[in-house]
Amino acid sequence: MERYRKYFPWAAGAALLLLVWLTFFSVRETEFVLITQLGKPLYSVSDAGLHVKWPYQTATYFDRRLRVYNPRPSEFLTRDKKNVVVESYVAWRIQDPKRFVETVGDPVGAEMRLHDIVWSGLAAALGTHDLESIVSTNLQTVQADQMMDRLSSLTDRAALEQYGIAVMDVRIKRLNLPEQNKQSVYARMRAERERIARQYRAEGEEQALSIRADADRQKEEILSAAYKEAEKVKGEGDAEATRVYSQAYSRNPAFYKLLRTLESYKKIFDDKTTAILSSDSELLKVLMHGGGAK
Amino acid sequence: MSASAQPKVQTGIVERPFEPAQRPNRARQVAAGVALLWMLTSVFIVRTDQQAVVTRFGAVVDPRVMPGIHVVLPWPVDRVTKLKVQQLQRLVVGGELPDTVTGRAQPLQSEFLTGDQNIINMRVVVQYSVGVPVDYLFRTANVARSVGAVVETALAERIAERNVDAVLTTEKQNIQEEVRAEAQRILNDYHAGVLLSTVNMESAVPPPEAADAFRDVASARADSSRIVSEAQGYANDVIPKARGEARQMQEQALAYKESLINQAQGDAARFTEVAAEYAKASEVNGQRLYLETMEQILPKIKKLIVDKNGNLDLTIIRKGEPAK
Repeated sequence: MERYRKYFPWAAGAALLLLVWLTFFSVRETEFVLITQLGKPLYSVSDAGLHVKWPYQTATYFDRRLRVYNPRPSEFLTRDKKNVVVESYVAWRIQDPKRFVETVGDPVGAEMRLHDIVWSGLAAALGTHDLESIVSTNLQTVQADQMMDRLSSLTDRAALEQYGIAVMDVRIKRLNLPEQNKQSVYARMRAERERIARQYRAEGEEQALSIRADADRQKEEILSAAYKEAEKVKGEGDAEATRVYSQAYSRNPAFYKLLRTLESYKKIFDDKTTAILSSDSELLKVLMHGGGAK
Repeated sequence: MSASAQPKVQTGIVERPFEPAQRPNRARQVAAGVALLWMLTSVFIVRTDQQAVVTRFGAVVDPRVMPGIHVVLPWPVDRVTKLKVQQLQRLVVGGELPDTVTGRAQPLQSEFLTGDQNIINMRVVVQYSVGVPVDYLFRTANVARSVGAVVETALAERIAERNVDAVLTTEKQNIQEEVRAEAQRILNDYHAGVLLSTVNMESAVPPPEAADAFRDVASARADSSRIVSEAQGYANDVIPKARGEARQMQEQALAYKESLINQAQGDAARFTEVAAEYAKASEVNGQRLYLETMEQILPKIKKLIVDKNGNLDLTIIRKGEPAK
């Protein structure tokens, strides 16, 4: 016994360390600590830092961070009897560790429970909404936000009451149609595209025709206006020429008459003409009667 | 920091077990070395691209330590967690496992339902960084998973209120920005401590089952604009030509007018000149003009000259030359 005495301080030190170890416990920011005594939950500590408990009590650590749980996609029926596949997520964390440990125990169990709550909640919510009010380009009729907000708060209330779980959010990650409905959707999409394609082509045709018609009309307008203008100009020329002639000729009408008559003779008589001339004519008087005749 | 006082008390506790060793000198050296190493755990460096969070027994005492050298209480009292705050992290949203039949040829993308109940395949890439280090570290169990879920829900919501054409073409930019803003808002609600920098729609395509119909719409659009531009080409050809022709007509008319007037003026001037001379001796000039004209006319025509008494005098013809 004596020879072990020198180890006593060592044993005392070890015992002291053990006591310190059992009395003090630190709580991290990410955790809750549940203090249990002989398996019976007493109270939980959520303030991070160093804390004290009785050495015979045990501390159980729970992650209190927000978790995102993705339930498996499920098919639901909307009020207007359309099938939709909804993929959702649940943002949750442990709120009441005591309740949590009493009812579900671990995150896997929690997610199973959440799945059930959310599934029935979604089924009920979608069953009272038309697909149009969840998926629509008409923003006035879309009620997806309100629907999910209500579902979130319902889920939160149920989960907190039953399992000590706080649900921050239940949101739809993705909406899709079931596989067996997709073929008809694709067919509809194709038909819609064909209609749009036809419309584009027809509209192009329409525009092209109107451009061509417009061009033809402009061409006609330009040419007829030009004709009008040209004839007017020509008429002005004719009028001016007539005026110039008449002005000149009217100053000496007798001479004009003579000149013009003689001019006409040149044109009237040709080699087929036979003229019977009187010997007494002005031209032939000299011929018949000699130069003296006057 | 007041770190120096406490460690010394603590070192005493730790050193004591080493004292009863066989070689006190050696033991003291080892103890001093261990103590020094332990002291070193209270000094840390935050690099320029990092920020750090200091916790004491799990509780945050310094939520944001900027780059530099810092001193805290030594292990296990204080702990330092460093974060590369500026490093962008990349996340693909809406990915499904690649098809085992087609292999990895198709990029990861998943189906979304548009407002007009069309199905489109999309792949979105999110980039985010640490916004609030404390929140980033302690508030969310799996940050990447949360970011993915939140972005996907914001995306589904935005896609569900638009028609397929808007999603595929004009609204892409707006959707990205709205999704980023909405997802950021939700993440802030969760205190995720994340800063979304970009949400990028890498691909948004119609499903392969309807892809050809979508392509046909694109080609219809191209056809339509081709037809229109052809028509415009026609118009661009016809109208200038018509204008040219019109111009030509006008010029010809002007030429006609000018030449007619000039001709008239020439004729008139000539007439006026001649008339003036004629007036000076109208008898003689009249005679001359008459005779000159006759000279021009008579050689060409057959002539019969008769006496003024009415008897046809053929002597002239017979004689062939004028009588004296």
